[in-house]
Amino acid sequence: MSDITAQPRPAGAPPRFNWRRIIRGQEVGIFLVLIGMILFFSLSTDRFLTPINLTNIMLNFSWTAIAAFGMTMVIISAGIDLSVGSVMALAGIATAMLLARDNSPFAGPDGVVPDTVIPLAVLAGLAVGALCGFTNGLLITLAGLPPFIATLGMLQIARGIVYGWSQGWPVQNLPQNFMVLGRQNIPVGSFNFPLPTVIMLVAGIIAWIFLTRTAWGYRIFAVGGNEQAARLSGISVMRTKLMIYTISGLLGGAGGVLLTARLGVAAPTAAQGYELDVIAAVVVGGTSLSGGEGSILGTLIGAAIMGVLRTGLNLIGVEAYWLPSAQGIIIIGAITLDQWFRRRQGKSRGFARLFSRGGK
Amino acid sequence: MKKVLFFVTLLVLTLAPVASVAVAQDTPKALEDGKLTIAWIPKALNNPVFELGRDGCFAAAKELTEMGPYEVECLYLGSVASDMAEQARVMADAVAQGVDAIGVSCNSDAGCVEPINSAIEAGIPVMTWDSDSPESNRFTYLGVSNYLGGRAAADLLIRTMGTEGKVALLTGVPGAPNLEQRIQGFKDFTSKYPGIEIVTTVACNDDINLGVQVVEETMQSYPDLDGWFFVGLWPIFAGRGAMPLFEEAALNGGMKAIAFDTLPVELEWLKDGLLHGLVGQKYWGWGYDTMHMLYNNVIYGTPFEDFTNSGMDIVTINNVDAMATAWETQDFTQPLPPPFPGE
Repeated sequence: MSDITAQPRPAGAPPRFNWRRIIRGQEVGIFLVLIGMILFFSLSTDRFLTPINLTNIMLNFSWTAIAAFGMTMVIISAGIDLSVGSVMALAGIATAMLLARDNSPFAGPDGVVPDTVIPLAVLAGLAVGALCGFTNGLLITLAGLPPFIATLGMLQIARGIVYGWSQGWPVQNLPQNFMVLGRQNIPVGSFNFPLPTVIMLVAGIIAWIFLTRTAWGYRIFAVGGNEQAARLSGISVMRTKLMIYTISGLLGGAGGVLLTARLGVAAPTAAQGYELDVIAAVVVGGTSLSGGEGSILGTLIGAAIMGVLRTGLNLIGVEAYWLPSAQGIIIIGAITLDQWFRRRQGKSRGFARLFSRGGK
Repeated sequence: MKKVLFFVTLLVLTLAPVASVAVAQDTPKALEDGKLTIAWIPKALNNPVFELGRDGCFAAAKELTEMGPYEVECLYLGSVASDMAEQARVMADAVAQGVDAIGVSCNSDAGCVEPINSAIEAGIPVMTWDSDSPESNRFTYLGVSNYLGGRAAADLLIRTMGTEGKVALLTGVPGAPNLEQRIQGFKDFTSKYPGIEIVTTVACNDDINLGVQVVEETMQSYPDLDGWFFVGLWPIFAGRGAMPLFEEAALNGGMKAIAFDTLPVELEWLKDGLLHGLVGQKYWGWGYDTMHMLYNNVIYGTPFEDFTNSGMDIVTINNVDAMATAWETQDFTQPLPPPFPGE
């Protein structure tokens, strides 16, 4: 880290990180929204606050949140990754094709795939995800494409490979011991934590430390705050971006592998449109689309809000036809509330915040 | 001089299409080069049931070629995802390529009218299968009535569950015409039975993951549910173990479930007691029958009724083995044994 601290801080980068400031400054509003939603649904139906429902909700937003941690870094760097849904599907299908009974290249004469292939297949899925992300990074840095265009292209390329490999058919018959990854529950006291949720929490803690406690994380904020200033202060913008998009691909791949393990099938249409869920989780969590500002904790809360909202509305019996409208209205309401909350906070903190915003 | 040139160009431009149409109508190309190329266009390339139809299409092409005297080719064309604009482009390309006939499953009935009619104007006969465009000039539609399919599903549920109970529906994208027609048929049939209450209709946007989630949420909301109608098979693709509440209720709670389609994974669920009845379209016939009908129309000028009923497969525990055998051997030409033999 010493190589960074010796250099002048680029304009627009956030001040030195402070745990209390991060909690107070960014996540309180959105956390209150989450609590409010949970309260509302708990009072509306006695099916909401049951252990099994809470387990299900946590399971169901795990992969969105994992992919969203990578997206948080991308958006903090003032970029966007539209390919994440397709990358999830591609990683899932790569893993599944190595594990499918009868059809895997590792299948024995009886068609059964030995369990020793499972770690290899999972790594292959993660590698495919990271490779897609790395390619995105190359297109953005070397070819100089806008992130929107590069990742939009990757969205289609990855989806096309998924269709081509699968020939339109879902890949099924995966080993039981692989599905454990997505279906196992870890009992803590009387409560069951789904394994994907535990993986999500571990990934979240690592991503949080990475983003707020290391020089690499600092560079991400610096590039997003003011790319020119970051470059002048000696940060390799190219290397930073390559790293960011590779991480996003890797985490998207991890989400896709977990989704496949949970469902026991890799469908060619899997995770279609999930990039919007992932981006929404990040933005609801308070990360600014114009870059330089955001947090992993906020993204986790954002993903939780999306999960709680969808399940809650379903449980209180909102008709399927009206559900998307209800979701849209509540998300807009939540962000409006959060913005209002932040403005009030911003005023009390005076000029420092104004200056850091104006610096972009 | 320039003016004359302009008018000559204009004249050529206006007459050229007319001339080409006249040529196409007089002498069918199939007879010229001894080859009959039929474009078979599904809604999308990303749906496995169309793969089965494609296999039927290839099988028919092989059969017709062996029969002679013409070499018959099934040209499998389509856009990757279901999209009317893309499909219109695919159809225009097929016309430009000079195919001899087109069989298409339309993404949108209204959107298909112009592409179908311009193909016919270019002298290429067109029929629809699976999904119709009744306003167009296609010479026939091969398919089933989704409405009757929904009624058949309701009949299956009542035979297995009885005439009383709480029932939930799972649909894909709300508003998709084929799904809505199935739901309407189901509701109309069950409305004759006052003891049957449809407690909720949930949607999964054709997404397996979301399907699993909403089914389990519905099982939480209605633990005493007596029946399900899956308007499509989305969550079933997830295989065993993904929906523990649903499985428990179906195996040990007396809950009955009926689903559309008859794919192998559904047959396994039916054998295991997780599903109790299936209503399926004849996917293989979409390709096989369409090829035969287009062949007869082009070569012999055989006329067809406006609607050609392709029939439905009703699968229960009594005939599930025959359906599974058809899948294993890829031979869907044999009729299934009756679903309720005692009748």
